[in-house]
Amino acid sequence: MKQLSLIIVFLVSMLTENTAQNINNRQVEEGILNASTKQVNQFFRRFNGEESTKGVRYYEGDKDYRSQALRSRYINVLFDNGNASITDPIKREFVQEVVNTGDPEFVDFHKTGWFAEVTTKFLYQGKDVYITLFMNIEQENLGYKWVLSNVYFPHFESMFSSTSAEASRFLHPMSHEIDFMNLIRVFNDKDNIELYAAKGHEPDYLSMFLYELKKGNLKYQSVSNLKFHFFQIGGWYFEVSNFNRPGANSGWLISNLMKVDKEEDKDTIIKFIMHE
Amino acid sequence: MAKLKIFIFLFSLLLGFNQLKAQDNISPARKLAIDSLALEKVRDLSTYISIVGNKDTPWSEANRVIERTLELFADGAMMGVSSINREEVNYYGVREYLERLMALNYDKVDITWYNIQYISDLERQPDGRYVGVITVYQRFEGTTEEGLRYVDVTKKDITVYVERKSTQISGRIIGFWDVLLGDIRVSETKPG
Repeated sequence: MKQLSLIIVFLVSMLTENTAQNINNRQVEEGILNASTKQVNQFFRRFNGEESTKGVRYYEGDKDYRSQALRSRYINVLFDNGNASITDPIKREFVQEVVNTGDPEFVDFHKTGWFAEVTTKFLYQGKDVYITLFMNIEQENLGYKWVLSNVYFPHFESMFSSTSAEASRFLHPMSHEIDFMNLIRVFNDKDNIELYAAKGHEPDYLSMFLYELKKGNLKYQSVSNLKFHFFQIGGWYFEVSNFNRPGANSGWLISNLMKVDKEEDKDTIIKFIMHE
Repeated sequence: MAKLKIFIFLFSLLLGFNQLKAQDNISPARKLAIDSLALEKVRDLSTYISIVGNKDTPWSEANRVIERTLELFADGAMMGVSSINREEVNYYGVREYLERLMALNYDKVDITWYNIQYISDLERQPDGRYVGVITVYQRFEGTTEEGLRYVDVTKKDITVYVERKSTQISGRIIGFWDVLLGDIRVSETKPG
């Protein structure tokens, strides 16, 4: 009887220990989920120092709203720690400039200077293809909406890859006198057709994309990746991506950070992002 | 010329008015009240998902709960589901998603919710309605008859539409804020 009591006591203590362990694990997991930057909206709020560590929204007039101390703490944990190219000195310089008491800088959801890069999967001519959509926030009537601003599809780009105007590829200057009958030569040369277009002509990939969709040649599958590019902080560019991984350094984080000294550098980065 | 000046003046007034309207934000106190209304709907949804997923729930009861769940949603709302090992997103209607959950081949299903929820700001859409996203985390544990256990943690980003409506009660017009759930993005996550 005594032995049985001992066994029961042992089993009860084991169960209690397991339950306590489970509760403890749960608390740890909740702590991690709380630390993770769960929405892009939360990235904005943390960057700007507009919420408490518990996620409670701060408004103008609240004691800690946009406080320098809060922002320094938050921005330091908004970097992807797995990216060695974002070095500690560059992080420090960025944080110092952004939270600078004299002239602090903030990110603004409604303003220009940031855009989304959405990698999407489509079915094109029976094959899976990836198309990158560039999207901006735009104001309309009572509110805001996301709009398509540009498209990158390697297939479209390869259609316009002829770079040098060859000596033989032109419509001679007296073509009008022969009622442009030589256009037949132009349109039979469809691989190089863009060489007959005006100087400075740029293909409009967004219109081509919309045309292919309307014709039913492109069939949408799903979104496969998403990131954001920010040019709102003077002299800096940064990229924000989602890191779905264990640990507190997860969610929407700064995945790339660069100093942009000149306006031309900014244009170069944008062209690079848009594959132009 | 005078007509042109008047036209320009009226046009700029209209433009300014539109900008003001677009920035017409909900006050923090109102936002808090709407948040709790929206959270209540999300909690209802969480409860309904747990009931539908529970193997002990009778079939007829689960179907009744599915109908109740659908009442929480705006028409045409979808669930977009992905896992860590699969980059594609599978789209389901809310009814289809719940029916799949009901038909899962586990002997025992345990669905619990983490005590973490994140509520975004409310942004105004061009049509005047407000939209926000509430993030919650769900732990799913399914056990087969043979004792095989499957566990996953999913992040659910739930769209919330908020609209000012009015109704007539005893001849008086009463305004109220109506909250409806919209598309839900379900993604597998590993917090540990």
